[in-house]
Amino acid sequence: MTTVFARGLGYSYGAHRVLDAADLELDGGSMTLLAGRNGAGKSTLLGLLAGILRLQDGTVEFDGRSIQDLRVSDRARLVTLVPQDSDTSFEYTGREVVMMGRHPHIPRFGRPGPADFDAVQQALESTDAAEFADRNVQTLSGGELRRVHIARALATQAPVLLADEPTANLDLEHAVAILDLLRQLADRGHTVLLSSHDLNFMAPRCDQIALLHERCIRHLGSADAVLTDAVIAEVFGVQSAAPSGYFPRDFGPL
Amino acid sequence: MNRRMSMGMFLAIVVPLVVALVGLSLSQGYITVSFADLSRALAASLGWGEPLAEDQQTTIIAIRLPRILIAVFGGAALAVAGTIMQAVFRNPLASPEILGTAQGSALGATVAIALGWASVSTFWMPVSAVVGALIVTGLVYGIAGGTKGFSVASLLLAGIAMNTLVGALIALAISRLSYDDWGQGSQILFWLMGNLDSTRAADAAVVGVAMVVGIACVVPFLREMDLMTLKDEGASALGVNVVVVRSVLLLIACGLTALTVAFTGGIAFIGLVVPHMARLVVGPVHRKLVPCAAVLGSLMFVGSDYLCRVLFPDSGLRVGVVMSMLGAPFFLYLLVRIRRGQRL
Repeated sequence: MTTVFARGLGYSYGAHRVLDAADLELDGGSMTLLAGRNGAGKSTLLGLLAGILRLQDGTVEFDGRSIQDLRVSDRARLVTLVPQDSDTSFEYTGREVVMMGRHPHIPRFGRPGPADFDAVQQALESTDAAEFADRNVQTLSGGELRRVHIARALATQAPVLLADEPTANLDLEHAVAILDLLRQLADRGHTVLLSSHDLNFMAPRCDQIALLHERCIRHLGSADAVLTDAVIAEVFGVQSAAPSGYFPRDFGPL
Repeated sequence: MNRRMSMGMFLAIVVPLVVALVGLSLSQGYITVSFADLSRALAASLGWGEPLAEDQQTTIIAIRLPRILIAVFGGAALAVAGTIMQAVFRNPLASPEILGTAQGSALGATVAIALGWASVSTFWMPVSAVVGALIVTGLVYGIAGGTKGFSVASLLLAGIAMNTLVGALIALAISRLSYDDWGQGSQILFWLMGNLDSTRAADAAVVGVAMVVGIACVVPFLREMDLMTLKDEGASALGVNVVVVRSVLLLIACGLTALTVAFTGGIAFIGLVVPHMARLVVGPVHRKLVPCAAVLGSLMFVGSDYLCRVLFPDSGLRVGVVMSMLGAPFFLYLLVRIRRGQRL
């Protein structure tokens, strides 16, 4: 199990300060929902934790190892990100796209081996994407493509999984399935952080909620503790529709 | 299911075609010899056996062999350069031509010819072409956004703008030549149309070495080329150092393009259409695509040269013109595919 420590994270796009002294701690085996308004910096925070944005201020550590001390391939074996959009313009099959997730495990001059093919098949089956794995990704629906992208992240077998809006474009059945899969990964020891605007749907399945507001993690804790009327009003500027803080409407398989 | 030909099958079909076409092209022309005599001439050039009559031996070994070899090497180099460009820019319409690399080479070569450097030493022409290619591609890359990332639209607009500007500079260089300098002017024009007529063995050797070194440098990055077709976030999350890999691959593509066109002149469309042709047959995975595009590029270049030198010898066709006449319809076919809703 891998613990993630982020301390004092700051990030600016030119003169625009997006994050300032943001702290976040993720326990191994936990699933955390990262929420906040549009433009609050959720994708930036995920990018910094995943190492795809260069740290400007602060530190990110995985079990005490600084992300800056890790080689790129070592980092990719440790933490992976499902971005909002990582489409390709070329006619790869779903299986070929998922095999890209094995890149950090294959030597530079090496070829995929049985372990890589097994990991890809397992990732495809976990995301219910095996049935269209050999189709051209350009012919897949948005939801099918999303499942392929999540399978690609799973194929990395990284213990820390970050996902930016993982259920966007998914119908309810597959959104539930993907969320249950992420929950299972967390229960098996993965550290999962996902961003979403759908508090009602996500919160019941997450161990903690991190609310990003005014450039830092303003509230961090269990759903009951964080999603109160006062906090909802402060962060999102709306009256909560739920009488008891958050609205625990749950969905599960029929 | 995607139906694709295996790389082995593709190479088993195309490589013998290249070899056959090279044999035909070597043996046919104003002087035509049998394959047995061709074998004798080739063996004699390696010091084995008796040579043919002097005019035949000279025509085959000193004149035809360099131009055919440069077509083999140059076709492969340009096709691989185009494949790299399309992967790096995540854009199936990217090519050394569209991004200004070839036009930059043309400007460099034009400057070398117009200022008389090319006649001082054969060294200056390729050096000037490579420098021109690097400057123009660097400007396109920088204007489009460079290491901070770029949109396809800004990239294409930057490429179009630089191509127009460089084209104007080439026209200016030609128009400023006086009638006394007409030799240089016609040299530039023939260069721009693609010209293998005066290819020497040393030229073919330089392009051959550039192709071998360039492709050898691409091999370690074949898997990264697949990942580069994702957006930067996706590639970086999977362990690709996007900025470094993109820069290295662009440098290789520029070098391949510049060193080839410095000796072959303006050869359009190979870098754009050959990767597409190969991709349609073997799929987009670069481990298979790069070798297949390379041999297909060789086939197309040697075939175009054969067409204008052997089949239509008195038509005044230039190899670059044939390439464009073959490439443009294929490009239009790709556009029709897009209109029908198919992606490239």
